[in-house]
Amino acid sequence: MLSSLDPRIARLALPDAPAALQPKAAFDQFETYEVFHQKKDGAPFSYVGPVHAPSADVAFLFAKEQYSRRAACSGMWVVPTSAISLTRYVGDQESVYDVVPTPAPEAPGVPAESEDYLIFHLKKRGKAHTHVGAVQATSAADALEQAKRAFGEQRPVVNVWVMRRADVLTSELEDRDIWSTTPEKKYRDAIAYKVQDRIDRFKQEHS
Amino acid sequence: MIDPKKDLLYRLADDQLILGHRNSEWNGLGPILEEDIAFSSMAQDKLGHALQLYSLLHELGEAEPDTVAFTRNAGQFHCCQLVELPIGDYAFSLMRHFLFDHAELLRFEALTASSYEPLAQVARKLKGELKYHVLHANTWIRQLGTSTDEAIEKLQAALDLTLPYALALFEKTEAEPAIIAEGIFIGEDALRQQWLENISRVLSQTALELPDVTTISPVEGGRHGVHTEFLQPLLDEMAEVFRLDPTADW
Amino acid sequence: MYGSVSTHDIPAQASTGLENEDPQLLAEFEARIARGEKIEPDDYMPALYRKQLIRMIEQHAHSEIIGSLPEGTWITRAPGFRRKMAQMAKVQDEVGHAQLLYSAAETLGKSREEMLTDLITGKSKYSNVFNYPTPTWADSNVISWLIDAGAIVNQMANARGSYGPYCRALERICAEESFHLKYGHDAVVHMATGTPVQRRMMQEALNRWWPPIMTFFGPADKASQHTEILMRWKVKMASNDDCRQQFLDMYVPKILEIGLTIPDPNLRKNEETGKWEYTEPDWEELRRVINGDGPCNQERLAVRRAAEENGAWVRRALQAKRQAPKAVRPLA
Repeated sequence: MLSSLDPRIARLALPDAPAALQPKAAFDQFETYEVFHQKKDGAPFSYVGPVHAPSADVAFLFAKEQYSRRAACSGMWVVPTSAISLTRYVGDQESVYDVVPTPAPEAPGVPAESEDYLIFHLKKRGKAHTHVGAVQATSAADALEQAKRAFGEQRPVVNVWVMRRADVLTSELEDRDIWSTTPEKKYRDAIAYKVQDRIDRFKQEHS
Repeated sequence: MIDPKKDLLYRLADDQLILGHRNSEWNGLGPILEEDIAFSSMAQDKLGHALQLYSLLHELGEAEPDTVAFTRNAGQFHCCQLVELPIGDYAFSLMRHFLFDHAELLRFEALTASSYEPLAQVARKLKGELKYHVLHANTWIRQLGTSTDEAIEKLQAALDLTLPYALALFEKTEAEPAIIAEGIFIGEDALRQQWLENISRVLSQTALELPDVTTISPVEGGRHGVHTEFLQPLLDEMAEVFRLDPTADW
Repeated sequence: MYGSVSTHDIPAQASTGLENEDPQLLAEFEARIARGEKIEPDDYMPALYRKQLIRMIEQHAHSEIIGSLPEGTWITRAPGFRRKMAQMAKVQDEVGHAQLLYSAAETLGKSREEMLTDLITGKSKYSNVFNYPTPTWADSNVISWLIDAGAIVNQMANARGSYGPYCRALERICAEESFHLKYGHDAVVHMATGTPVQRRMMQEALNRWWPPIMTFFGPADKASQHTEILMRWKVKMASNDDCRQQFLDMYVPKILEIGLTIPDPNLRKNEETGKWEYTEPDWEELRRVINGDGPCNQERLAVRRAAEENGAWVRRALQAKRQAPKAVRPLA
């Protein structure tokens, strides 16, 4: 049996020589979901990163602790990576809308089969995509053109993400109390550890 | 006779401390990275709850939270035996989490109306945290409880094993009549009924079968200081460093 | 928590493969980096850039997940509520960092499955320091403070690098590491200025950890064509020696002010050169440990394998419920 200084590991009673390992199968880690958080009421949702999960509801459970266990948060969205359409990335001073076709003049009324699409902009490479609004559209390509009409004046726009609202799992307003105690968990914050007094006292005693 | 408030607080706090400690054993060893993180957060929350409850005890004249948590022996603990059992496989730990946290959610909901206002305040504050814990537990039990035969078998075995212990979550002490009479808490019987309804509802959405609880004898004793063989080694391990130098500030 | 292991990975004479790249795309790529813009996943990038970044970010991720184990050793024994909760939060953060870093590496086209396989089969490397044991609580504190301090030096440099997803992950990681550093410092100071038992424990732990700490940043970089290109592409942001000097500048005074001694009689700052001088670390030992012959290599991998194997039924069960997964490569 493998000996360990860690009592948890000792209890696992692992064999000394592990059996040969099979490589992990494809999708052993499920699929990816992209996560957006809202820092406070009224603030736009912005991208925080992905999670691997087997379903949207599990992705939400995972996202909540991976991306909002410290900073204040008032809402969270998760969406399958596969449900996001994106443009190419342009330079930091440019707008990707310059290479998006301008939509045909708006026909009166909205087509019957249209639905809500959420639009996210990346303003600078290396930063996070941020929600700018929603458009009614019949497809992701159409949504991008509609976004150009609605948000195309904004500059710079390095990259745009487009997704159907129906594909986004959003936290419920009445459940926002799941974040209510986060700011009180000071033991997770650097600011809770102030030790200079103790050092000064020690130095005085030993000077 | 012990102060009914203290009697209740010790039971609540000891449960939280011991289960938080147990669940922390999964840190870094979980089945998938994201779940490792989520499960650790909930274990931390439990430690945080224990600390708040021991702080209330301190206000009532008991020793400092660290002293109470790290220097008592098993016979002085009032946790139920459910929380002291080793972590087992992930099915066992998830099932214990499911059964325990459903009771915890109801318990703290009821405590928001406690006549003992400091405890009611703590209970109100923790509502959101507990909501997440139960959401987590329900999601996992629903997901795994409707999946492969392998997973369903493991969860069913875990349920069969933990249920007699879980039923002892509601073991009463001599202080029970006073606790109810003084409006500190609605009492264990009321809680047990709601709990059974809630866990039954979730389990009925899965392939798992809740055994007939009327035929099961709860494994009681924990509330009276009677514990499994696992608690004292757990406490010795937990206090290994703390007891190296009892005068030290760590 | 991550120290350099990269020097051992690239044979100095290896081809850069740049002759196979489209000269115009390569020029635009280099111009973008020179302008200070980040590279994002869908951009053109030279094969060497992609390969080196995957290797670097993957090793960083492995170092985090393995790095959770030496401190995890004390998770059930941390003394008092304050330390107990913080130790849990810190170990949790290491797992969280691994998650963020694997995700960043995935955007470059290597799946998390492949990376985890390479970790548990021993194909990929991780920071050598995690192959040393933590026999006491004080050892865990030394890691929390000084290994994390070293990691911050490294990661702050890398956060100025050119790859967008890695920078985003590092921004978050550095913020969390500042908690680790303060927590570790707090714990070390409490022991170093505490009772005789505590002081002795802490000094002994520092004595054990000083040699691994000195190898944390890796040996001095050899000048090579690779190093020069990777610096120009902002993949490698600071030399190993520069990182080590910066670490010594910042932390030697903090160690000495609390009455601890450093077990290297030759350690001194040369006032003329402004550089720290020290006993040359045992690079042969570093090489041996990285290649598998450290005191805890076998345990670290065995534990990681056991975690993967014990969780396999959970993943199989969840997988069985799903439709065919659609995307396994995060966008950013």
